[in-house]
Amino acid sequence: MPSAATPEIVVGIVANPASGRDIRRLTAKASVFPTAEKANMIQRLLGPLGQLGVTRVLMMPDATGISAGVIRAVRTHHAQRLPPWPRLEFVDIPLQDGAEDSVTAARAMAAAGARLIVVLGGDGTHRVVAGAVPGMPLATLSTGTNNVFPDLREATVTGLAAGLFATGRVPPERALRRNKCLHVQVGDRHELALVDVCVTRMAHVGARAVWSGETITELFVAFAEPDAIGLSSIAAMVEPIGRDEPDGAYVRCAGDGRTVWATIAPGLVSCLGVAEAGRMQPGVDYLVATRRGSIALDGEREIELLDGEGAVVRLALDGPWTLDVGATLREAVSRGALGGDAVRPPDP
Amino acid sequence: MSETLNRESLLEAYRTMRTIREFEERVHNDFATGEIPGFVHLYAGEEASATGVCMHLTGDDYIASTHRGHGHCIAKGVDPVGMMAEIWGKATGTCKGKGGSMHIADLEVGMLGANGIVGGGGPLICGTALASKIRGDRTVGVCFFGDGASNQGTIFEAMNLATVWNLPAIFVAENNGYAEATSSTFSVACDNIADRASAFGMPGVIVDGFDFFAVHEAAGEAIRRARDGGGPTLIEMKLSRYYGHFEGDQQTYRAPGEVQKLRETKDCLLQFRKRVTANGEITGEQLDAIDAEVKAMIDGSVVKAKADPKPAAADLMTDVYVSY
Repeated sequence: MPSAATPEIVVGIVANPASGRDIRRLTAKASVFPTAEKANMIQRLLGPLGQLGVTRVLMMPDATGISAGVIRAVRTHHAQRLPPWPRLEFVDIPLQDGAEDSVTAARAMAAAGARLIVVLGGDGTHRVVAGAVPGMPLATLSTGTNNVFPDLREATVTGLAAGLFATGRVPPERALRRNKCLHVQVGDRHELALVDVCVTRMAHVGARAVWSGETITELFVAFAEPDAIGLSSIAAMVEPIGRDEPDGAYVRCAGDGRTVWATIAPGLVSCLGVAEAGRMQPGVDYLVATRRGSIALDGEREIELLDGEGAVVRLALDGPWTLDVGATLREAVSRGALGGDAVRPPDP
Repeated sequence: MSETLNRESLLEAYRTMRTIREFEERVHNDFATGEIPGFVHLYAGEEASATGVCMHLTGDDYIASTHRGHGHCIAKGVDPVGMMAEIWGKATGTCKGKGGSMHIADLEVGMLGANGIVGGGGPLICGTALASKIRGDRTVGVCFFGDGASNQGTIFEAMNLATVWNLPAIFVAENNGYAEATSSTFSVACDNIADRASAFGMPGVIVDGFDFFAVHEAAGEAIRRARDGGGPTLIEMKLSRYYGHFEGDQQTYRAPGEVQKLRETKDCLLQFRKRVTANGEITGEQLDAIDAEVKAMIDGSVVKAKADPKPAAADLMTDVYVSY
């Protein structure tokens, strides 16, 4: 354990208990992401974080079993005298069983001095956390349905990179990347999206996920890569945009437009008609042409668009900072940060 | 898929949910007077679930209900006037006053019955769904059950059989958080009932059971899939009940203010009203008019139930057994 004079090195973990369970299990072939696996992933994070010297981990509590699974694992871990884990604590927040829990937890972690927050969830979870704590570096791990923003990666490796960054072994300018984002303004309401803003003919938020290509009227993307799953794949078929390019893209759909096939959900390849597509410039307001329907942020309907209310979408280059796991580890190797006695052995 | 619900459908949904709420609030008040015989388990708070599911069903589809069955009955089309008389134990009731709250059944509208046996509905729905499949008439069966029943072997067996036989069955788990007085967090071994679906080879989804629109959309897809031969689905509705397990339950297992907060922040009727009036689909006056009509109908049903005759002693053995 560090001495009393050793400064605390704090890392937060937000694991969304609800990710991976929406209607796309029914309308597509999306998999269920088990709670037990989320708890396992957190354990696989705690190992490298502890061995690299992170002293304290703050977790979001939940009532579905992730926290309970981790608590059980901590007891077992201590009993077996395995390599040290950081001290685990849960932020003291009133649980609402909704996305607001991630917001409250992330803010509490920031207030407690977290240097980075590891997020386990889909695009929607990352959007919520990024909006709650602007400027906070995020380490992303995919446990959702359509995951374009977060990494689909072994948690141990992400934990290693997170530990290297949090302990200062790899500086921010080498470890972090700046992401683009999309700002949506509907009347007085402002929302953020990290990957895509999708306008649909569906009048109601309903089951939230957008799972039918037929209902899509417009799409705005911060980036669109042809090998992605989800709505951004539509734009990728006509106007591919890299994650690090300074542009975005828009697509307007119409039944008589150019036909494209896109993987909009697991197991679901949809045929859509694209009437118009082009690049979005940062800082420019793009008007939503659809007068009535709903707007999905990163795949989930969040806003019911009232008749004639009007909405605009704007691309910004100053989105959230995320941990570039590959770059961080490469830098660590070049600095020798993982050699010799950098990693703590088990306690005697 | 439906992109939107038309005005008539929205009004129908509201009327059904309001009828259930008014019915239950009235039974709650009248039960406290001691005049109503037997036990009642009220559905108030859960209206969006029964309504959002049953709006997709026809009179030829079947549902199996639970001990908390009034909402399912009304949503499936059972006459509330007859139901009220049934609960009051009168000869004019749906089951001639001999079933009471927990055994209201009306096969004419596809309502197999409320059921005092926890988890008893699953096998019944496998039976109707098998009949549907053999007839090939695209009808479906819906089994409503609670978080308590989700732990019963009958439900496991029914879900297994439904997949093995690829039945047009939909399993709707209404997880209101409590099996009688036991929190589901203490009694359900997995974290979400929907997670059990994969073990039975069917899709499982979680839906906000307070949100009519979310229920309607998910149930619509599950029912369409079943009609098309796609097989069974498990839908878990996350919701809560406003009253105790039974009337008279002191609910000492619930946090202070828990129900009041739900009524103020999540109530399905309030959410519905806010959303359909915000965009001008429906006016507040239209909904107010439905409120008044429903209240008058429920008031009238109680007046009638009180005045109606009880079953005669000679009726004791009639309708008890059925000869096939």
